[in-house]
Amino acid sequence: MAPPPHELEDEETPLQKLMRHWMNERHAPDILPAQEELLASLLDHIRRQSEAVQLLRGEPSTSEEDHIRIMLVQTEVERVKFIVRSYVRTRLFKIEKFARFIMTNPEIQARITTAERAHASRHANLTDKHFHFSVLQSLPETQSHLDDTPIFMPPMVTQPDESVPVFVHALRECGPINFPDGSSLNMTPGYISLMPFASAKALLNRGDVELV
Amino acid sequence: MSLPPSLRTSATPTELELIASQQLIEIIPLIAMEKTAFISGAYGPLRPPHRAKVPIWMAVNLKLKKKCHIMAPYWLNTEFLQARLNEETTESGFSRLPFRFSEVSKVLLDVAPDDIPDADKLRYILKDLREARQAKSREGLANLDRGEFSLPNFCSMEINEVRPFFIRSMAILQQLYREPGET
Repeated sequence: MAPPPHELEDEETPLQKLMRHWMNERHAPDILPAQEELLASLLDHIRRQSEAVQLLRGEPSTSEEDHIRIMLVQTEVERVKFIVRSYVRTRLFKIEKFARFIMTNPEIQARITTAERAHASRHANLTDKHFHFSVLQSLPETQSHLDDTPIFMPPMVTQPDESVPVFVHALRECGPINFPDGSSLNMTPGYISLMPFASAKALLNRGDVELV
Repeated sequence: MSLPPSLRTSATPTELELIASQQLIEIIPLIAMEKTAFISGAYGPLRPPHRAKVPIWMAVNLKLKKKCHIMAPYWLNTEFLQARLNEETTESGFSRLPFRFSEVSKVLLDVAPDDIPDADKLRYILKDLREARQAKSREGLANLDRGEFSLPNFCSMEINEVRPFFIRSMAILQQLYREPGET
């Protein structure tokens, strides 16, 4: 028997999970925890579907029905590939942007994959070297650093800005959420609110809300 | 760059359509198909003239090949939307609509206007709805403050439209505020 509609929505397929993480990543100012297992299982699924298509195509007597089936499976594979690519690229963008900060911050390192860590390290080294050889080496010693923290000025190392507001869509009952100004908020599923990323972070990591 | 500047602040409407197209919809297939395993789940079997539930992207694909008729979702009809529009113009809050109604209605009206009763009238109502809601969100902006801003029944496409402006405004309000003693 088919389950009632609301239960269907509760059960998230791996693809729906990835779509949620994709949009979260796109809207969050910080790098979110990596979803290695989810990504691996979906990539594996893409590979299996593509192999199945190859196999079906090899058969000489394909009916019109089979043609459409193959076409639909391929269409879906392309859709999923697009989402995977966009998700990975979003992370890559943030990793390059915060490369120097990542290298000095163990907390953020724990959130990213080994490959992403290696990329951040290479990227930070390369830009450092480039700046050094092109400009910094010919400047006086006091001006030749890339990590000064002068007073009244933003630090030189780009850091994620957690005060950036994000649109939050509650997936479950959550609350009360306490805000720095003393107010608090209870959210019911479906509730939409604009709040600083710092206030939404814990809820987001628990999967109670999504960013939209 | 790994992410083009145009994609850094917001999602694009086409990306939102892609997400919305994962929702299921009822079709009347015109071809038969065995139950088939897809990445997002198993769909089928398709047995004309029995109805079947498939994702919107699949329905659109089949429709473009004239292999199915699409059944409008429960909210995509003149009665339902006209009632919402009346609410929208008489009451202060946003009326309750499906979160991705804008994306879904656009996709369906583009591909299958012949399957949806009163498609032309629906377009008018949807446009009026959109304008009424836009006016409200602009008025609502006056109440924005630095802490938290609730937008009950605001929809996906609307959020995307106002995102850059709302986010920037709230960031400025945050900057203007200083903790006592922080000066």
